[in-house]
Amino acid sequence: MFGQLLVAGIVHGLIIGLAALAVTLVFGIARFPNAAAGDTMTAGAYAGLVAHKASGSLLVAGGAAVAASGLISLLGYLLVFRPLARRPVASLLVAAIGVAFLIRAALGIVFGHQQQVFQVPLAWPIEVAGIRIPPMDLTLAGVAACALAGAFGVLYLTSIGRQMRAVADDPDLARVSGIRPMRVMVTLWLLAGAAAGIAGLMLGVKTVVAPEMGWEGLLSAFAAAILGGIGSPVGAVAAGLLLGIAQEISTPYVGFTYKIALSFAVMLAVLLFRPRGLFGRVEGVR
Amino acid sequence: MTLSVRNIGKSFGGFRALDDVSLEMPADGLLGIIGPNGAGKSTLFSVMSGFMAADAGGVSLHGRPLDRLGAAARARAGMVRTFQVPREFHHLTVRENLMAAAPGQTGENLLGVFLSPRRVRTEEAAIRVEAEATMDFLRLAPVADTPAGRLSGGQKKLLELGRALMAKPRLILLDEPFAGVNPVLIGQIMDRVATLNARGIGFLVIEHDLEALSRLVPRLVVMDRGRVLATGAPDVVLADPAVREAYLGGAVA
Amino acid sequence: MEAYLVAIAIIAAIYVLLTLGLTLQYGLTGLVNFGHVGFFAIGAYASALISMQGMPLVVSFVCAAAIAALAAYPIGLVALRLRDDYFAVVTLGFSETVRLAITSEKWLTNGVQGIPGVPKAFAGMGIGMAGAVATLAAIALACGVAALMLRRITRSPFGRVIEAIRDNEDALRALGKDPARFKIQVLALGSALAGVAGAFYAHYITYLSPDQFIPLVTFYVWMAMIMGGVGRVSGAVVGALLLMLFLEGTRFLRDVAPDLISAVDMASVRLGAVGLALVLFTLFRPQGLMGDYTRR
Repeated sequence: MFGQLLVAGIVHGLIIGLAALAVTLVFGIARFPNAAAGDTMTAGAYAGLVAHKASGSLLVAGGAAVAASGLISLLGYLLVFRPLARRPVASLLVAAIGVAFLIRAALGIVFGHQQQVFQVPLAWPIEVAGIRIPPMDLTLAGVAACALAGAFGVLYLTSIGRQMRAVADDPDLARVSGIRPMRVMVTLWLLAGAAAGIAGLMLGVKTVVAPEMGWEGLLSAFAAAILGGIGSPVGAVAAGLLLGIAQEISTPYVGFTYKIALSFAVMLAVLLFRPRGLFGRVEGVR
Repeated sequence: MTLSVRNIGKSFGGFRALDDVSLEMPADGLLGIIGPNGAGKSTLFSVMSGFMAADAGGVSLHGRPLDRLGAAARARAGMVRTFQVPREFHHLTVRENLMAAAPGQTGENLLGVFLSPRRVRTEEAAIRVEAEATMDFLRLAPVADTPAGRLSGGQKKLLELGRALMAKPRLILLDEPFAGVNPVLIGQIMDRVATLNARGIGFLVIEHDLEALSRLVPRLVVMDRGRVLATGAPDVVLADPAVREAYLGGAVA
Repeated sequence: MEAYLVAIAIIAAIYVLLTLGLTLQYGLTGLVNFGHVGFFAIGAYASALISMQGMPLVVSFVCAAAIAALAAYPIGLVALRLRDDYFAVVTLGFSETVRLAITSEKWLTNGVQGIPGVPKAFAGMGIGMAGAVATLAAIALACGVAALMLRRITRSPFGRVIEAIRDNEDALRALGKDPARFKIQVLALGSALAGVAGAFYAHYITYLSPDQFIPLVTFYVWMAMIMGGVGRVSGAVVGALLLMLFLEGTRFLRDVAPDLISAVDMASVRLGAVGLALVLFTLFRPQGLMGDYTRR
């Protein structure tokens, strides 16, 4: 039982971790919690669904999710968030809610409100050390691993990635060291969108695809981003895993509904006792 | 009755912004701080006033340690700072800016607003008179009803000083009061600071305008790269070769 | 027709109360409260449950306000030490948690089945229009009192300080005043207004369920406030009326042309319109329709 929940928790945690990666990059670099990240996930799930129906390949679905979510994310930046960059943070927060609603409304109109599922072949679980693991979980974990490898490759191996992390670590220092903001920001929003897209696809395969799915996952993503330390990609993924496992393991005790509230409790506890999170900078929340 | 800063250290990542900084002054005295950009002057103010936590060392006023107090409590203890870049309440008028700074108002509590309206009115009248006096003193009276966001840079500096005064401090930390201020206003601010000091209010002043500062304060602290380089009377300190080297880049030496 | 007008006037007035609460919190103080609906829900359920224990409505209304304000207090203690953006996330999380708690705690709230048969306000006045008109009068009175209260606050030293907080919190701290002390009062009072609005809602609609308290309601209120002009007491009233026009207009559209657009699609269209309004107003008219908010 415990082992089963652990496996489910890891897969779920990878989903939260990818979503939290999208949140923490934007929060760390563009300096606001992007409430549209959840609905960007949903867009990825629908794009993946359509591509999967047409091709039957999860790989193609992943490509479609990355492309669609990346594009939506970039459009959000160019049309809304960039013009608001010098406004008080409240403007960005409100606008992000607006963008979230727009994305969800468009998806609702195009795809309807009935839940849809990925038609994936049923397969017998593989038994490893007494724990039964559905092969689809392994596939999804593989997808997540590839996505994370890609994202961390960009962040840690390319010069634009180093610049992004520099901005996330210390925006003032980055400003004086002459980093070109436009290139950094475009890469940032593409990368955040792509990560959210993969998270949405995985969530869709694992559960169902519906217009509200991403919004409902948003709180967990925020909680993981805060727990991991805002601006820390490694922290976001680690915290996502922790939170996913904690949610699954606590479900038998607190019930299905409260596993989402667990995110809120974690978020409050972190903000109270260790506002910089597990991997964050010292100065920050105030 | 002294302000004493002991062995303050503060780092950002690997960068040591303040390294074992100590200074002492009579709480009703006048002390200037100079130093090149990045010497750690404003960081020192931020740490002293409780806006940043120090990594090491402490601050005490009249022998009372302030280190456990937050920024607001330190101001209430009598040490009020101003900001290098003025932080006026831009939607409020100059008069409202000043009145907002007066301490201990009954009307600052919702219960007070609704339950003791008469007392609030009496206090408001007294604070208003005080604000008028402050505006007259700083020659801000002509702009009394102007939203503070529309003031000139120099007027904003005066407003910062005025607000600090309204908070009834014993000691004011002035961060670059002359920066971006026209020479006529500089003279005026210096004159006001001297008058206030004669009335018993102490000043610790960060300033780039060496010439003006040397006329204002009897004693200078020179900082460079997070450390105190020298302390003493302006003419003595400024003649020090190490100070000339650090501060003037050796160009004049 | 009269019945319809009275009905939408009551709903509009409920939104006026909510918008006044948010105007105090965001418009005057700068608190980005994304969880307004949580306090609305707490007020609604509190008043419904208390009145169903046989308590008179006067008592249940007072309790609704008090409980909503008390619920704001711990949130305030935690969240007000944080920056605006964190505060927004925490309040949003709070309102979602309230909804989850309502869904889960079936012993108290009957979960998703909801609570039917909440006592109707002024039920003693018979079955005709009289009860509804009396409800409207009562809620209009509540709006009037709330508006006067807010006006009184804006002209008081307290109002001066909260506007100073909105303009520059650090400067206020440097002058020896703790922003948190003021913000917590603002948060509690604004939440009490939302609680009263919730109580009116409960005793007018007479049926409560968790899906009436989704975050969209919070952003209806934001939309009303932004349209009317942030930080203006009169703007809150105008904005809530515009919001009502929008909500009823979209419903009207569906009623006259049911073939054109289904009920489900209409929900999406509304959501999209709210989203578009939030984006466009923030981008192009942050001061709202009625102009500059710098002077009240």
